[in-house]
Amino acid sequence: MCILLSFVSCQGGKREILKTREMQFLTPPSRKRRAEAEAEAGTSAGTSGGAASPVSDRRIVLYEQHEAVPFQVPRASFGPSDQLMCTYHCRQMVKSEFFVALDTAEKENAEHKARLAALNDQLYKIEEEREKYRDEASFLQQELAASKARENSLQERLLKEVDNSEERYRDQLRCISELEFEIKKKMDSRVAAEQFTETLKETVRELQTKLESLSDSSEREISSLRRELSYVQDESKFSSSKVTAELERTRLRAESAEEEAELLKEQLIGLKEQLDERLTQKGEIEHHHSSSNISPSNASSDDDKKMIKLLQEELHNYEKEVQEARKLKSSQLNSELLKEKLLEEQSRRERAELELSKLHELQIKAQKLELELTSWKSLLNDIPDIVSYSDIPKKFAELQKEALENMAKLGEITAQLKEIKVAMEYADLSKQRAETECMLAKEKVESSSLEVKRLQLMLASVTEERDRLRKDSSTSNKDAGPPDDSRVKELEAALNDKEQMMKEMESSLQEHREIVAHQHAELKLFNDRFTDESKKVKSLERESDRLRHEVALLESKLGHGDYSSSNTKVLRMVNTLAVENEAKQTIEALQAELKRTTERLQAVEELKGQFDAALPEKLVQLKNQIAVLEKREERYKAVFAEKISVFRKACCSLFGYKIVMDDQKRPNGIPVTRFTLQSIYAQSDDEKLEFEYESGSMNIVMNDYTSQTDIAHQIEIFIRKMNSIPAFTANLTVECFNRRTLS
Amino acid sequence: MASRTISKDIITLRGSAAIVSEFFGYAANSILYNRGIYPEESFGKVKKYGLTLLLTQDEGVKSFISGLTSQLSEWLEAGKLQRVVLVIMSKATSEVLERWNFNIETDAEVVEKGVIKEKSDKEIMREIQAIMRQIASCITYLPCLDEACVFDVLAYTDKDTTVPMAWVESDAKLINNPQMVKLHSFDTKMHKVDTIVSYKNDEWEDEE
Repeated sequence: MCILLSFVSCQGGKREILKTREMQFLTPPSRKRRAEAEAEAGTSAGTSGGAASPVSDRRIVLYEQHEAVPFQVPRASFGPSDQLMCTYHCRQMVKSEFFVALDTAEKENAEHKARLAALNDQLYKIEEEREKYRDEASFLQQELAASKARENSLQERLLKEVDNSEERYRDQLRCISELEFEIKKKMDSRVAAEQFTETLKETVRELQTKLESLSDSSEREISSLRRELSYVQDESKFSSSKVTAELERTRLRAESAEEEAELLKEQLIGLKEQLDERLTQKGEIEHHHSSSNISPSNASSDDDKKMIKLLQEELHNYEKEVQEARKLKSSQLNSELLKEKLLEEQSRRERAELELSKLHELQIKAQKLELELTSWKSLLNDIPDIVSYSDIPKKFAELQKEALENMAKLGEITAQLKEIKVAMEYADLSKQRAETECMLAKEKVESSSLEVKRLQLMLASVTEERDRLRKDSSTSNKDAGPPDDSRVKELEAALNDKEQMMKEMESSLQEHREIVAHQHAELKLFNDRFTDESKKVKSLERESDRLRHEVALLESKLGHGDYSSSNTKVLRMVNTLAVENEAKQTIEALQAELKRTTERLQAVEELKGQFDAALPEKLVQLKNQIAVLEKREERYKAVFAEKISVFRKACCSLFGYKIVMDDQKRPNGIPVTRFTLQSIYAQSDDEKLEFEYESGSMNIVMNDYTSQTDIAHQIEIFIRKMNSIPAFTANLTVECFNRRTLS
Repeated sequence: MASRTISKDIITLRGSAAIVSEFFGYAANSILYNRGIYPEESFGKVKKYGLTLLLTQDEGVKSFISGLTSQLSEWLEAGKLQRVVLVIMSKATSEVLERWNFNIETDAEVVEKGVIKEKSDKEIMREIQAIMRQIASCITYLPCLDEACVFDVLAYTDKDTTVPMAWVESDAKLINNPQMVKLHSFDTKMHKVDTIVSYKNDEWEDEE
């Protein structure tokens, strides 16, 4: 009898239980034989894979031969005759031994069954676990595939970004190098501009000090000029007040003189009339005298003397009146002259005041111009590259432009720095994100590696279990009898399959490890690339800030109204509103003026019509009046000339002197009447007396004739001492008569 | 649920020029009203761009603005106009107090080739409406114009543009150290108009 193993293979919850049982009952041979049989059984079991029965295999004489006897029984020793020699006792013994062996075998079978069941359970569990592991492995594979796909996509994206960022980086490097070069240039120019501005500031300070000093001096001069001006104004006021007072006085004098002149004129007219009467009387008297020549001479001489005295008195009075009239006339002329002088002085004063004010303004302007000239001259000397005055504003404009450009570039540089900072921050953020992702991937990798280790451990434990199970199965096969080769083969095949699967899994795990290591390396590369890209991103952000700054500058320029005169011109619509308003106003004004002129024209035409009608008559009347007045004037002139000539002749014949009257002006402008007297008894033309009549007083003028001793002596006595010019003239006449008559 | 489709209208160069010149006319009227250049009673209400806007009823100003907009439309069609500036000056001192700057970017391809573009009229109207609202709200930050003021319009054109009869060359009438406020812009796909207002720094703000 032999007990065979039962294999339980579980696949997907199915149980295939293969049981083969064959029981062969064998009588146990002798111990040696038993050992040989065990060895043989062991070898056969080892070769076949079955389990030997642990029961002692006694040689048993077969009662009935079975053909299917697996064990090699040494039959040669027994033969067929031996079989027949077995007795009942032996049979009973065999039976009892068989039953015992059966019991033991059954027990062992049960034990084996239990063990098999346990092993089947274990196998089931193992296979469940295997399936779990397979599921997990498939899940891991899926995850790996997904991660691979993600990594591939990331790689592609990163490659693209890397390419773009490389391009941008190259561009930015170029721009940065150019900017650095420009920045150096600008810094140098800025330093130079700052130095220049400092020098300019110093010059400005010097100019300011000079300005202050010049302003002080100008203020002093201004104050002195003001003082002088005040003095001049006071003087002019004083002179103007004086002149006004004199003017008033002269005006009053002139008015009084005019009144006196009028009175005198009236008196003169009366006197003239009286003179005419007297002359007529004289003529009548002469006529009467001539007609009555024989009449008593004494009475006539007395009458003549009286008449002559009267006439002389009248003449004297007339002369006095004439002198007074002349005085008044001269005073009137003086007053008119004074008026004119006053007006001239007033106009002069006004002109002087205007000119003084203008002079003050001109002085201030001149001072300002002088200051400016000196300042510009000093600037010309101080500022380099300047030849003339016109270069200064250009130079200032250039310097201002340079300063503005430098400031703009400084702004750009600061904007770029800000860009760099922002891009750096962004790159840091992206780096942090990438690091976190790397950490997550690492954790995933670690977890997968841990899973792999766990699977390996599980595999190891499973292989140990398998080995142990194999050992157990081999021992059980030895005890139970020769194993079933096919089943063992199947089991072995299954084990081999499992081993192959395990190997495949191990190989896949190794591949995954390699992949993970590769991914780590790639992650490092990506980290490096991330840092580069962060820098590029910062530079890009710098550029964006700069562009924003430029946009802001442009917008400010746009808002300010700046434009390029090379391609833009500014046009303005003529403000027809104001023009129309102005035109309307001018039109209205012109219309009003037109109305007024038409009204005036109408009035003038009416007047003209009136005048035209009355004008000729008026003109004729006026012309007649003018003719009458002119005739009267001529008559008056003729009569006056006759009278004067008669008067002169009378005076000459009466007093013995030819009187010549001459109006002159002294150098100081005062009019003087000069009388030249020549005696009718003078022996030469040089014997002339000269008198000057001025403001009512008659004065003798010394000449060659009057400087003679005789004449001077007479002048001394009669004029100086006795204050009588008529006595002098009478004495001189008598002396001249005596001289003439005696000679 | 049916999907919304954005309707787009065809815009030609002439149409775009008309839109921009019309916008400038309404914007100028709005500025004149809000800044008090002319008395309030000389303005009348009209509906435009979905808003109630005020237009001057003064015949002189009307004719001035209508002549201006017609000339601007011509220049826009020719692609010669770069900028339009409405200048507000003091009547007494002729000092420039405010500059309303409308910068115009013209698509050169449209002018040269006569390409047609598409954009929704409603979208354009919405953009213009936003600018009009901003002009109306400008009194909140612009300084008060206490003195009598007058306005003038400057056109920045290409150098080779012939000067029409009613126009003369002028200076840019700039403000020294101005404050600037950028308003919204609108785009007809052929002409893009940006609005910036620059004004003279108020003395009160300088003292603060």
